Amino acid sequence: MKIKARVIVKWMGLVLIAAFVLFPLLWGLKVSLTPRYEVSFLPSQITLEHYHYIFSRPEFLNYTRNSVVVTLGTIIITLPLAILGGYALARFTFPGKELSFLFLVFPLLPLIAVLVPLVSYLNRLGLYNKHFGLIIVNSVFNLPLAIWMLRNFLLEVPVEIEEAALVDGCSRLQVITRITMPLMIPGLVAVTIFVFITTWNNYLYAAALITKPALRVLPQGILAFIGTWGTYWGGLTAAGMVALAPPVILFLFFQRWFIAGLFGQMLK
Amino acid sequence: MGGIKVISTANYRTQKVCGTWYLLRRYQVPYTFLFPSFVLTLIFLVFPIASGLLLSLQQSTLSGEARFVGVGNFALLFREARFLNNLRLSLLYVLGNLSLSVPLAYSAAILITSPELRGISVFRALFLLPFITAPVVSSVIFLSLTDASSGPMTFLLTRILGNRPVILANPTLAMWTIIGHSFWRSFSFIMLFLAAGITAIPLELYEAARVDGASSWQLFSKITFPLTKIHLALSMLIITMWTLQDAETVYALTRGGPGYATEVLAVRLFKDAFVNFNLNLGAAIGMILLGMSLIFMLAYLRLMTGEET
Repeated sequence: MKIKARVIVKWMGLVLIAAFVLFPLLWGLKVSLTPRYEVSFLPSQITLEHYHYIFSRPEFLNYTRNSVVVTLGTIIITLPLAILGGYALARFTFPGKELSFLFLVFPLLPLIAVLVPLVSYLNRLGLYNKHFGLIIVNSVFNLPLAIWMLRNFLLEVPVEIEEAALVDGCSRLQVITRITMPLMIPGLVAVTIFVFITTWNNYLYAAALITKPALRVLPQGILAFIGTWGTYWGGLTAAGMVALAPPVILFLFFQRWFIAGLFGQMLK
Repeated sequence: MGGIKVISTANYRTQKVCGTWYLLRRYQVPYTFLFPSFVLTLIFLVFPIASGLLLSLQQSTLSGEARFVGVGNFALLFREARFLNNLRLSLLYVLGNLSLSVPLAYSAAILITSPELRGISVFRALFLLPFITAPVVSSVIFLSLTDASSGPMTFLLTRILGNRPVILANPTLAMWTIIGHSFWRSFSFIMLFLAAGITAIPLELYEAARVDGASSWQLFSKITFPLTKIHLALSMLIITMWTLQDAETVYALTRGGPGYATEVLAVRLFKDAFVNFNLNLGAAIGMILLGMSLIFMLAYLRLMTGEET
């Protein structure tokens, strides 16, 4: 009987924390789906007018497209480099390897401090106010942790098959693409989702490197909407929900791999 | 021994006599693989830090010339009441977030690792949702939660205080809002670190202690807490770093206002550098932020290694 009481208390604790976590998100969803001047907590009617409104705005579609370009571009640059780097760290010992701990320090540094000189830097390189510049910066800032995640993942993939393939005359790159990569798909998915979410969600780098309204990414766009729409919460939360959907969908589909990639591995 | 991992590196230091070229040839494959990442990191991360330092020691005139002023920018900042307030608010922001996050993270971690409950992996995913929500999006939601005419937080506070507050126009409540928002975003991150630590503790330890008549509090303070200290310190370090450099959620919620009441260091940097384009002052604040991060990092590192031995 005592054990049962303890289980009930624990379930209540879980539900309470879940309520705390979900309330703001559900509130956002509710506001995005109810008519403008409806204030009750449980809406009497549901409307898609705010979603119609934001999707009828050309600038919103443009921001979304920019976000897709920047995010996919970042993944395309980060992933191959992270695979090579992670492979080198997991499979070889070499002089200078001790410095690889820096890959764990870099992501902790206040990158906002790096952004200040980067602005004049990229300006000189002709990459200021260019999506490509933003893609490069996102990639470089994501790279250390991506390399580290893949390194940890690769340490758990057995090397024997690779060795056999090398003996049989495969080149190193063939070994990676034909043998190692298929074995590390969960790790690759985890890293891809990680890079996707951090890049898609990021406002700061874009705010520093992009000033042309037409090139803005979605988080920048939403912040600009706060300025122009004021307290039109229906539209603002609808835009927020659209920005929230891709990370949430990816995360819910692959959460086991994502959590293992980010937390299981980082703790090793 | 034609293996991959077994390439002997035992004596590479003694082989240095053969010169750099020898090393590059011998370790050609890993060096080639790491080369692009190395170069990119050097160009876009290490060099900028160096030129940031240079920038922070200069002042630009209107005509665009840079003039070396030594520690002039720093001296200017430390004499300024606004900056000292920025510094104080940053520490308050970090401390507030941690002191709310850690207790809840522990409770949640113990609950989601509880062997008596089944089917709770759903909660693990659920709890992580704030962490993957874009800061700007959660800021928009919190803005609507604290809206003066329709926000539920406003209703709640009206009930408690007796009069209707304009939450983000009140210095204290605005600060609480940004702390609460960060707390909501970051507790689950600490929770997952702690959960990883707790699952590594053998269940027999708890059973034995319970047989000996230990209370729940004793189970926590004598077993769970000591065995998850490293996980706690590591996750606290990461959250400290993130809170310290967080400009975007604070900027989105309050722009540092009302007045300068929520202007933490990172927001001040953001405003100076990217809104007012005073890059020299921005760089100086950046260096101070970098220095604070290093101090925090070393402190946590000492905490972790100090407790291991």
